[in-house]
Amino acid sequence: MDRGAMELLQGTLDVLVLRTLAWQPMHGYGVSRWIRERTQGTLEIEDAPLYKALHRLEKAGCVHAEWGISDNNRRARYYRLTTAGRQRLRAEESAWRRYAAAVFRVLEPA
Amino acid sequence: MRRLVQFWRRSGAMIRRDVDAELAFHIDARTEALVGTGVPPDEARARALREFGDLEDARRYLRRVDADIEHRQRRRDYVSELRQDLAYGLRTLRRAPTFTITAVLTIALGVGANTAIFSVVHGVVFKPLPFPAPEQLVRIWSANPGSDARRTPVSPPDLDDWRAQRTQFTDIGGYWFADGGSGVDLTGSGDPQRLSVAFVTAGFFPALGARAEVGRLPRDDEMVRGGDDRVVVLSHGFWRRQFGADSSLVTRTVTLNGQPYRVVGVLGPAMRLPSDRVEAFIPYSTIPDESIPYIRPVRVLDVVARMKEGVTLAQARLEMNTITQRLSEQYPANANWSEATVMPLADAITGDVRRGLVALLGAVGFVLLLSCVNVASLLLARSSVREREVALRLSLGATRGRIVRQMITESLLLAAIGGTVGVAGAVYGSRALVALAAGQLPRTSEITLDGTVLFFALGATLVTGVLFGLAPAVRAAGTDLQSSLREAGRGLVSGGSQRLRTGLVVTEVALAVVLIVGAGLMTRSFIQLLRVDLGFRPERLLAVNFTINTGRHEGSSYRMFYRQVIDRVRAVPGLTSVGAVKHAPFRGNGERQSFVPQGMTIGPGEQPPTAAFIHVSDGYFATIGARVLQGREYNDQDGALRAPTPGALPVFSGTPTVVVNRTLADRWFPGGSAVGKSLRIGGDFDVPIIGVIADIRQTSIEEPVQPTVYINNMMNSRVQVTLVARTQGEPLAMAGAVRDAIWSLDREQTITSIFTFDQLVSEAVARPRLLTVLLGLFGASGLLLGAVGLYGVLAYLVSSRQREIGVRIALGASRSSVLAIVVRRGLLMAGTGTLIGVLAAFSLTRYLRDVLFGVEPNDLFTFAVVAASMIAVAGLASAVPARRAASVDPVIAFRSD
Repeated sequence: MDRGAMELLQGTLDVLVLRTLAWQPMHGYGVSRWIRERTQGTLEIEDAPLYKALHRLEKAGCVHAEWGISDNNRRARYYRLTTAGRQRLRAEESAWRRYAAAVFRVLEPA
Repeated sequence: MRRLVQFWRRSGAMIRRDVDAELAFHIDARTEALVGTGVPPDEARARALREFGDLEDARRYLRRVDADIEHRQRRRDYVSELRQDLAYGLRTLRRAPTFTITAVLTIALGVGANTAIFSVVHGVVFKPLPFPAPEQLVRIWSANPGSDARRTPVSPPDLDDWRAQRTQFTDIGGYWFADGGSGVDLTGSGDPQRLSVAFVTAGFFPALGARAEVGRLPRDDEMVRGGDDRVVVLSHGFWRRQFGADSSLVTRTVTLNGQPYRVVGVLGPAMRLPSDRVEAFIPYSTIPDESIPYIRPVRVLDVVARMKEGVTLAQARLEMNTITQRLSEQYPANANWSEATVMPLADAITGDVRRGLVALLGAVGFVLLLSCVNVASLLLARSSVREREVALRLSLGATRGRIVRQMITESLLLAAIGGTVGVAGAVYGSRALVALAAGQLPRTSEITLDGTVLFFALGATLVTGVLFGLAPAVRAAGTDLQSSLREAGRGLVSGGSQRLRTGLVVTEVALAVVLIVGAGLMTRSFIQLLRVDLGFRPERLLAVNFTINTGRHEGSSYRMFYRQVIDRVRAVPGLTSVGAVKHAPFRGNGERQSFVPQGMTIGPGEQPPTAAFIHVSDGYFATIGARVLQGREYNDQDGALRAPTPGALPVFSGTPTVVVNRTLADRWFPGGSAVGKSLRIGGDFDVPIIGVIADIRQTSIEEPVQPTVYINNMMNSRVQVTLVARTQGEPLAMAGAVRDAIWSLDREQTITSIFTFDQLVSEAVARPRLLTVLLGLFGASGLLLGAVGLYGVLAYLVSSRQREIGVRIALGASRSSVLAIVVRRGLLMAGTGTLIGVLAAFSLTRYLRDVLFGVEPNDLFTFAVVAASMIAVAGLASAVPARRAASVDPVIAFRSD
């Protein structure tokens, strides 16, 4: 982890995707841009696992996919958070916060 | 999640296209964005691809996941549609309770009757015997081709030779068992009691492949004369009943006929051969020569054998015939017994009931078919009503396939409800059947509603549902949108529907006629059976069956004991008459022996005639109400016993005489000349005939009476005794007094069984009664269903043509002519159906031939009566709607919708 970009911890990607879609329905490319911008390149995320996560989440019923028209007038697949997805996001978010807090307590001397 | 709108589901190709498009969009968008920041297009694309990672792997993954999603969604849609259909179906059924109840009961009748009958047929006929590789098991009999005695039991010496010379059989063994006849006295273990015993030879257990559940089975050396053969194997039921399933019993001894026997083992509960009434198995070798001599002419053993693996029935027959032929050349006593009959054991056990049961199964199949047709016609009537609903749904965009599925779901739902009710009824039904059979069915303990039977019920239900659901469903799918929306409002019936319904009713009537013909034939046959002159009057006749223990009454003193018992019982108040016989009617056929009628000479190589020899006491015929045609029966002077020297055992001192039955007298002494003539019996005794008795049915009611010689039991005694008493009141109420009279002479005397002659007759007609009752029930249901179907169609016709009828009346048609039109229509349908039914029955009733008695399968009288009653019932069923038609108010013709 001596490089600027960190590899993603397993399961993290799902939370990030859900969080991103919580703002508004987006296509895959949008999700990719959004996460890239938000993390400012700290996280090295390839797009392949991102799409896999999207479809996995669709199968799990957390997101719903529909074809729509993008800003530049092309057909794009839009993903929207479902009620189940929202619940999952809440649960994972709080788990992440608890996890991060625990890690910080160990790393930072009292 | 409930979907209100049906989404278009994606195919595999569409999924591939969608995934490709999504990925292409991403790469394009990223490339454009990079180009927008000044990166050259080629490099921008390469970078977009690099940033993406493994594109092809992702593509494969996405396709797979999407296919899964699609698949699951489809299933979910299907389930939710099914749930919708079911809920909708339930609502529809609830809204039409009369229809639903009628349909459910009709299906329940069909499925229930079929399940009950199938459970019986399956248990008795189809279920494999509870032995390993049961298809290798056979029964073998001695056969005398000259006298057409094809199935005669086997003598112990013959069996020993068969067993010694066999090459195609794993083993051969025999048993002697007579229900109520073969037994031993158990003492020293509670009250003395008579055990029902099968005496078995070495080879019996190995041939069957039977195993001991506790302990072991006897070894060969424990089953031979002079061996250590005082061993006993208990049946599972007796072991539990008498000894509380105590395993330590296997090391103990019990006292049988006053002798100690070692209990070596207990059989499993599945062992039900020769009968589930067997309580113990004892080596045949324990029977002393004085009781049953070990000689070739004494053919007493029923023989079972196991063919070696791969040996065919033909090979087995060949070997048995070869050995038997050899024995017949070797031993003069076997001169005419040159063949053996070999038959699969399963066939031998179910033998004569198989035909009857299979006929029942066929008949009950017709009931199911009939209930299918009936429900189909009910559904069809409803579907005409529902045409508007279907048309509405079609116009709202439902596909025809979807509507057919909805209809079939409804039918299956109906079938499932009816089937469940039916199976519940079948539980009681099959029990009632077994009770009705009164012990006259083999293997009844194997009759259960097990997996196979339930599977059958499920199958019957499904087939029923699809069968009766198909017609209305197909019709619904074919609904013509325009015309039904238009017509439904005006209450007109489309011609196609009417034709289909008419066809169904004709089918119903035809099926009903077949069933009623079966019922009619069986009923006539049963009446014939009850009309048979039994030769005795069964009412108020009590029978007490016991076996005199020759160990306790030695030498000929058991004859004195016999005399004393009869005299003592005659003194019991409440009895009008008392006598005794070795075997009561239907409980034994007597002993087959040869005799020479006076005046006949038997040439060398000729066989003398044979007759059934039955041992009776004085007063037996008067007691059972048999008629003496000539001469007299025995009196107490014929059997005088006198001690030859003072203090010695008394012996028979009268003049030997015989009484014969009419069949024998007519055959050998025509013209009523029998009394005064004599029969040569036992080689050199000429015994005068003192009386001729009207024929008594001894073997069964159906079979012709055999020539019979009644032997005075005081002259030539048998240890088996059936004491018969005519009582003044209820016969079984006297059983205690009779038993006490016997016990006042010997408290150790065991009683084998107590019954009434009414029971005997009832059991003797049990099988035909079972068939008659069942076929009668089927026939009645057929008649009812046929009538209901006919009524339904006509009632519907009348109600849907009210206007037309109104017009006719308004135009001057008389009410009686309107009545006639409807009735004629009903009779036309009934007549067509009856004609078809009669033709079908004509070709089907021959399968009943074996179970019919005294009536031909194509009995004209029965067919005529059935056809007439069907038409009469049809007339009645038409009368109600006809009267309604006749009372239509002509004003209706001018009313508008």
